[in-house]
Formats: sequence, C-alpha cells, structure tokens
Amino acid sequence: MREFEVVSPHARLVRWLLGSWAAFVYVFLFAPILVLVAFSFNANQYGTFPFTGWTLHWYGQVFHDYQIKDALFTTLKISAEVTAVATIVGTAAAFPLVRSKLPFRSGIRIGMTLPIMIPGLLIGVSLLVLLTDVFHLQLNEQTAVIGQSVYTTPFVVLLVAARLQGFDPALERAASDLGANTYRRLRYVVLPLIMPAVFAGALFAFTLSLDEFIITLFLIGAHNTLPIYIYTQVKFGITPEVNALATLLLLASLCLILLAFVLPMTVRRVRRLVRA
Amino acid sequence: MLDTATTAPATARGRSRLRRASRLVQYAGFLPALGLFGVFFALPLGLIVAYSFWETIDYNVVHHWTFDNYHYFFSVSTYVHTMWATIWVSVIATALTIGVAFPFTYWLVRYVRRGALQRLLLVLVILPFWTSYLLRVYSWLNILGDGGAINRFLQWTHLTHHPLSFFLYDRPAVILVLVYLYFPFAVLTLYASLERFDWDQFKAAMDLGATPRVAITRILLPQIKPGITTAVIFVFIPILGEYLAPQLVGGAQGVMIGNLIVNFFTGAQYTRGAAAALLIAALIVVLLVVFRRSLEVEDPYRA
Repeated sequence: MREFEVVSPHARLVRWLLGSWAAFVYVFLFAPILVLVAFSFNANQYGTFPFTGWTLHWYGQVFHDYQIKDALFTTLKISAEVTAVATIVGTAAAFPLVRSKLPFRSGIRIGMTLPIMIPGLLIGVSLLVLLTDVFHLQLNEQTAVIGQSVYTTPFVVLLVAARLQGFDPALERAASDLGANTYRRLRYVVLPLIMPAVFAGALFAFTLSLDEFIITLFLIGAHNTLPIYIYTQVKFGITPEVNALATLLLLASLCLILLAFVLPMTVRRVRRLVRA
Repeated sequence: MLDTATTAPATARGRSRLRRASRLVQYAGFLPALGLFGVFFALPLGLIVAYSFWETIDYNVVHHWTFDNYHYFFSVSTYVHTMWATIWVSVIATALTIGVAFPFTYWLVRYVRRGALQRLLLVLVILPFWTSYLLRVYSWLNILGDGGAINRFLQWTHLTHHPLSFFLYDRPAVILVLVYLYFPFAVLTLYASLERFDWDQFKAAMDLGATPRVAITRILLPQIKPGITTAVIFVFIPILGEYLAPQLVGGAQGVMIGNLIVNFFTGAQYTRGAAAALLIAALIVVLLVVFRRSLEVEDPYRA
C-alpha cells in the first residue's frame, strides 16, 4: 500500500503525459485532412493560405468538369467489377482455408495475405510486364481490374474467414441431420450467417478499389480513374478544384467504411430484435 | 460444409467414393483464388525474377541469362546510394512509427475503459487508413509544399518573402509522411497484442515490488514481442517499396528505390527495372522468412 502512495503522483504524471500524447496523435492524424477540407471551401484561387472567404465555387467546377465525370464513370465501373471478382473469389477461398484439413495452413494464410503485404508497386510493374510483354494485351480498364482484384481479394478472404471461424459447425451438422442437402445447407444456414462478413468484405473491396492508386497507375493505360486524374493534376501543384474533389472522395470512402463497420453490427442487432 | 453426413442411407462403397470425392471437393473453393493469384500474382513475380537475369537488346528482351542488370545497378553510384538511403529512410520511419504508436496504444489499452469508447478511439485511428492513400499524401502537400500552408503563412505574416525549402521537399518531409501513412498499421497490430495482455500479471509484479519500469521491461515487453515484431515488419515492408510519398513531397533529395523502379519501367528498361524490383522483393522475402515464426497475421479490421 505504501508503495502505491509513493508511486501515485508519478503515475498521475505518466497518465497525463500519455493522454496528451494521444491527443497529439489525433491532431497529427486529422489535421492534414481537415486542412484539405477547409481549403476546398476557401475562395483563394491558389487553394491555400490565406483564407479569403467561404465559397462553393470549386465544388461547382468539379461537377461541371467533363474529365472528372469521365474519370468517375471509369472508376465506378472498375470498382464494381473488382468488387464482384474479389467478393466471389475471396468468399470461395475462405471456406477451404477455415474448413478443410489443410497442410501448411498458416503458410497458405500468409501466402493469401502476401498481395496486401508486398508493396503495390511490385504488383503493378510485374503485372505490367506479364500483360504487355508476354500476353501482348492492350492496357485498359480490364487490365486495371485484374491488378486491383489481386490486391483486394485477400481482404475479403480474411474477413470471411474470420467470420467462418467463429461459427458453430454443429449448426450445419444439425441441418444435415434434418435432411438438408449441400445446397440447402449453404443457402439457408451458412450464407445467412456469413452474409454480414461477405457484405463488409464487398464494401471494403469497393472502397479500396475506388482509392487504389499505384497498381492502377501502371495498368490503366490511356484511361483515367479519379485517383489517377488527381495525381496528374497534383503533379503541377495544388489547385482548389482538386481540394474539392479530394474532399468529396474522402467523404465517399468514409461513408462506405463506416457502413462496412456498422453494417454487420446492425444486422446482428436487428436479427436479435426480430428473434426476441 | 461438405462432410459426408448427407448421405446417411448410402451404401458403404458409395460412401467411401463420396468421401474421397468430398476430400477433393473441400478444396474446390480455392480454385478461383488459385487461378487469380497463380496467373496474376505468382506468375508475374516469377517473370520479374527471370527478367532480372535477362538482357534488353534494342528494346527487346532476350532470354539470355546474365548478371548484367545487377552489375549495372551496383555500378551506378546514384543507384547504390538511393538503395542505402531507402533502407535508412525505412528504418528511421519504422522506428518513429512504432515510437509514436506504442505509447499511444499503451494509453488506449491501459487508460481507456474497455468497451464502446475504446473501440471508437481505435476506429478513429484506423479510419484514415481506409481513405485514399493518394489523398493522404496529397493532404500534406497542402501543408508542406512550396505553396503549402506553412510557407504561405510565413509569407503572409512577412516572416519570409521566399518559400522556404527547409523541411519541405526533402527527406524529413518524406519520413514525416511515411509515419503518417503507416501509423494505423502499427496501432492495429500493437493493439491486437496489448489487448490480450493480462494486466493482472503487471499488478502482481508491482505488488511484489517491481517498479513500473521493471514491470514493463520484464513482464509486458517480453510477452508482446511478437506483436511488436509484426508491427515493425508490416510497416517496414510497404515503406521499402514506397513511390508516391517521395514523388510528391520528397523532391530531388527524397528519391527512394521505388522511384528508380518506376523510372526504369516507364523508360522501357524492363530488365534493369526487374533487377531493382527484385532487390526489394528479396529483402522482403528474407525478412518474412526470418521473422515468420513471430508474425501474427490477424484480420485487418478487428475493431
């Protein structure tokens, strides 16, 4: 007891220091983003300091820029295709990863996460060599879809596998005891249970694809996605229009991600309510 | 999901055939992934390995085995210098990232009550990770660049008349942005291991007379060492291949090996670029093999 009394003023100092450190961390994390958002409303035509007044002018420009409109359509098309591929391939792979008697399971697991871990640059250049120099393909949206699918699928695998792991195999055995065949077990027992994870995986894949930059840079060819368009603009400096576009894109990703985090929880809660 | 229990009334022979089939069928889910990762991940990486040992003659790749690309890389002092600089920048940025992330995560786990608030604070840290990587780099340009907030502010207040390049468009700027980019990675992995730590052991150590410092170094750190290793590896590896941060905020001083690789490939020097890329890939493989036992692969959003 005596010792705690001796330690306690010191402990309060440590607590205070760590708390301030945490506050500093949050400022560090969000300040650049907030500055960017603030500047997107700044009337100053150079898009930076000083603040000369509030305006929505730059947003108006974003909505009337046909290049941005083109890039947006390309981005959405690519993201939709990538999401479909990643969700189907990733969900299918999660089953044997969790369920089958797998030799080297942890090795395969690490192998599956390799496309996330290694720098996207390596995926980009190696696919560029394969697709153009060996397969002699023209670079277009489709080649970008291939590259992004390689990168996003592991996220779906990990999410769905995590959900499958926490799911009672007795439920399925019960279903088959009651006469359900493979299809019915999948359709009425397994899929409803893992659906929130599949959906979250799809949302993550969509968001990642929407924002993907480095792999796309190598594989998109003459087309533009929004990040590539922003990059070509940014190379020559800051423009208020890009700030506005960036703010919109950040907002879109944030909404999608919050949805991905919240959705599985909400689904569970609603189910519980319905059952009760 | 594919056990043989469905076929309860089947004959013994049918059952054994089914069992054999189902043993194979249980792997069927891997097929699409095998196709995707085999053709579009493993194959191209293998191709890069081969390219790095082949020759480019008149813009054509000739399948002639040689070490020339590596000789060339190590014969140009700028490239060698850039490689060492890349490793240094990666080491410093990783150390800083963990240095910032560890006290933060320690605070989050130890001083914030477990539950909704702790989760919310964690999600807030991870949130930027899920927003655009390009925009997170770009957002610093607004602050650091020649026309960025700091310089504009200094000029506006007449503290200086010309944009300062001190700290902007240089290696410190690259390191700052890298710490910013990979901080969420570090927090996530450190949180995963700190959260599992049994704090009663900590209290027990203190009850037995350990000072907080001794309790941390002798009880806490040894137990969360795998988590720290994982965090270090997960931050270090992507930084090694970083392209965008040095490109946008690094200027001429901040060039990293990723920029070299891109220059080789956009200049159609595929074989030389492949050699440079393979140097990074080899380093990554070595790191992964050496530390494979202490790596903890968790799902990326266990919030």
